[in-house]
Amino acid sequence: MDYELSIEILNRLLTKYDKTYYLEARYQTRSLNEVSFSNGELEKISTIENSGLGLRALVEGCWGFSSIYCMSNDMLEKCVSTAIAAAKALSTTKKVKVKGLKPLQRAIKGIFKPNVNGQLQDIDIEKKINVTREAEAEARKFSERIKSAYSSYLEIIDHKIIVNNDGAEFETFDSKPEFSITCIANSGGDRVTASEGRGVTGGWNDLFEISDHLQYARLASQRALNLLEAKRVSGENSTVILDPGMVGLISHEAIGHMVEADFVLSGSIVKDKLDSMIASEKVTLIDSGRSPYSEGAAGTMAVDDEGVLAGDVVLIENGKLKSFLHNRETAFLFDTEPTGNARAFEYTDEPIIRMRNTFIKPGNDKLEDIIKETKYGYLVKGPRNGQADANGEFMFGAQELHLIQGGEITGLKRGATISGNAFDVLKSVDMVGNDFSYGIGTGYCGKFQIAKVDGGGPHLRCIATVGSLE
Amino acid sequence: MTTMLDAICEFAVKEAERNGATEAEAYAMTNRESEVVIENNDVKQAKSQTTGGIGIRIFVNRRLGFSYANTLTKESIQRGVIRALKVASASPEDKFNVLPLTHLKKIRGPKLFDENAVSFTVMDCSVAASEMLRAAKSIDGRVSVDSGNFTNSFLNHSIYNSNGVCHNEMITSFFWSILGMAVDGNEVSSFDIQSDGCHMLADVKVSASGEALAENTLKSLGAKKVESFRGEMILSPSAVSELLHDTITHSINSDAVQKKTSAFQGKIGQSVSTHLLTIEDDPTDAKSLAAASFDREGVPHGLTNIIDQGILKTFLYNTYTAGKDKLDSTGNAAGGPNSPPVVSSTNLVVSPGSSDLDTLISEVDRGIVLNRFSGNVNPINGEFSGVVKGGHYIVNGEINFPVREVMIAGNVFDALTNLTGVSRERKSFSDSVLPHIRIENIAFIGQ
Repeated sequence: MDYELSIEILNRLLTKYDKTYYLEARYQTRSLNEVSFSNGELEKISTIENSGLGLRALVEGCWGFSSIYCMSNDMLEKCVSTAIAAAKALSTTKKVKVKGLKPLQRAIKGIFKPNVNGQLQDIDIEKKINVTREAEAEARKFSERIKSAYSSYLEIIDHKIIVNNDGAEFETFDSKPEFSITCIANSGGDRVTASEGRGVTGGWNDLFEISDHLQYARLASQRALNLLEAKRVSGENSTVILDPGMVGLISHEAIGHMVEADFVLSGSIVKDKLDSMIASEKVTLIDSGRSPYSEGAAGTMAVDDEGVLAGDVVLIENGKLKSFLHNRETAFLFDTEPTGNARAFEYTDEPIIRMRNTFIKPGNDKLEDIIKETKYGYLVKGPRNGQADANGEFMFGAQELHLIQGGEITGLKRGATISGNAFDVLKSVDMVGNDFSYGIGTGYCGKFQIAKVDGGGPHLRCIATVGSLE
Repeated sequence: MTTMLDAICEFAVKEAERNGATEAEAYAMTNRESEVVIENNDVKQAKSQTTGGIGIRIFVNRRLGFSYANTLTKESIQRGVIRALKVASASPEDKFNVLPLTHLKKIRGPKLFDENAVSFTVMDCSVAASEMLRAAKSIDGRVSVDSGNFTNSFLNHSIYNSNGVCHNEMITSFFWSILGMAVDGNEVSSFDIQSDGCHMLADVKVSASGEALAENTLKSLGAKKVESFRGEMILSPSAVSELLHDTITHSINSDAVQKKTSAFQGKIGQSVSTHLLTIEDDPTDAKSLAAASFDREGVPHGLTNIIDQGILKTFLYNTYTAGKDKLDSTGNAAGGPNSPPVVSSTNLVVSPGSSDLDTLISEVDRGIVLNRFSGNVNPINGEFSGVVKGGHYIVNGEINFPVREVMIAGNVFDALTNLTGVSRERKSFSDSVLPHIRIENIAFIGQ
């Protein structure tokens, strides 16, 4: 028989050990189902059941971690003693010991569940297969110039039981589905790709709330066809209006990572910039475990894996750097409060500082006015992957650029790269839209482990370098 | 000799057949791992754990089902078989859904197991991680190590299928990485990352990685902007990995060819590069961390000649894609137990050239040496665009000064035909062995 773990069993386990040790037990069961189709053929199908206990110990200022996948009383005890022994293995090599963890303001107890419309467990695998297959077929049916298409559905369903000997004892449930479709349009030797999709925290109906799978397919195909007709841009420094997805990507990659306290301790460029102006006063940038302005962002979570409520953290307020992202260890070191950003992806991972939903707060400008007031520039749509460096330099891909001349959109240009120094770019922000959406929910953030995150904002006007893909 | 993992796999296959699978395969793995993580110039955490899992792939009348569970109990395997059968009942029929047959060739894999590595402790990891840190920091106080790790693992994997394929192998590995920058007052250099690995304890050399990090980050301090120009670029092995590797591995992948997303489609026997480029896939190279004696489906690994002096020789296949092209698998079924096999290169080896790096630099009139490339590469059409990282400006055959905020854009396939030099020196990565490569006619976008 499988061994059922509970808060009571974990509490009993942790009380057996030295009270001066900090011990944190996280039992996680995960169901991950995935299906994808490519050119009419099944590309991948997989159902995964993954469960186990991750145990973290802070012993004499050193962290140790261990995990087990087979549950029994003996194995549980072995897991704790292995984590403690691992921590002790650092006692002679670690130069600066962890001085403490910021106490929990209140010990979190209870059960946390996201709002879910259409439980994923209730939707038959057959339906998930069919939706993915139909979308891929629809994309190719759209035009004979769509030579290739790829569709994918993936869902992560988690249940965690977390107990630590600082009094936290709670359970969290999570439900994160995502759907995406990519098309390749060909004409002669020329080919372009375009994609559409969404990732949310929620259920089946939340995922397809804005568009259904066939609409996403048609949108992606239409975008690819449009781009096939479009010309490339030439490299230049230009006024750009970024769409919410691009704003989310910059917020996450170029700013968010710089303000993670672990990175600040390693010498981030913003380490001495608290309370300094690092962006235009029109910019207020937030990282939140909630999903403000628009429900169901993919990085939504109620409590982090250290038992800290995952609320809003105002990172930049009217241009001024106000906070870093903290776990309990860095909060103690900076003499501030933890921000609920300690996250672990699987039971085999320890919690580290991660973003959740990172976005820029909407302003007062209407998108049509922003365009109208732009003499020359580009409306940049559809984030692709991107990177940012320690010095704030970033480089992101965008799917399409709309040329603006004399306050009007005058033509479509092919995908390009947007680059610059994040702080220079944010200082150049002079118009902030009054719209809002999240736009990077199908992506993952990689930092030793992966994490489901989201990002967004309004449309936003700034100056950046547009690089051709020529 | 039948191991416990073999028995678990056999049980899963028999259960699947008993429940109606026409073919079944089980791939199971256990991995005992110790790791010490570096963060902010110090060791941060020690980890010691054993993970495991079993992937069950079944065909019911050529319909695919797949499930994975990380627990190896009978109950968990039985549930996994039922899940896989349910998936198969809803998935489309595909006549190429077959499992490999037993291979007559006896597997003679490389030696990837070291008893000394099995007795390596988490304490030993801690000492090794500290030594790497010290090597980086002791060169110059301005070097700041953001993160890194030292890992020791002992992996045991087994594959079993209903056609009689049954293999087991034990592999020990060490892997280490270090990422950091140089900080001088308000100036922060570009990131650099160094990583290396080996199977034998005697080959662990962490100091070299720490020293290389220090050298690369320090020499990129004081970077200046340059004006836009057209010239030659010399990619470091890391930059080759970032800029060329994925596009090449995508283009030689039979799956991409069959899906018409490979630019090398229809080009077997044709020139895809200058004659300076020769590439093999060599999973039997014991120096490679990716080495193993059989692939994800149990097909024995061997050396595959992919590009010979610029001429494309073959694509890489697993059993499924080989069936479609009426060929044999090249032993390139890849992936872990938690997903069905895909096609991938295992250890992409670019043959060394005849010049050393200094000679390659000395022959450049005007150009840039890239330590890293940060940007986007589209592996389908080869278009790339990104930023030069840790770059150095070359004029008249000599390195002048480090550069910043220089963008490059172009096409990987054009770059291969403009390839003018391959260095003798090479660096091993976990999935490749790569030299420095020189490419002409690149547009550098500066100020």
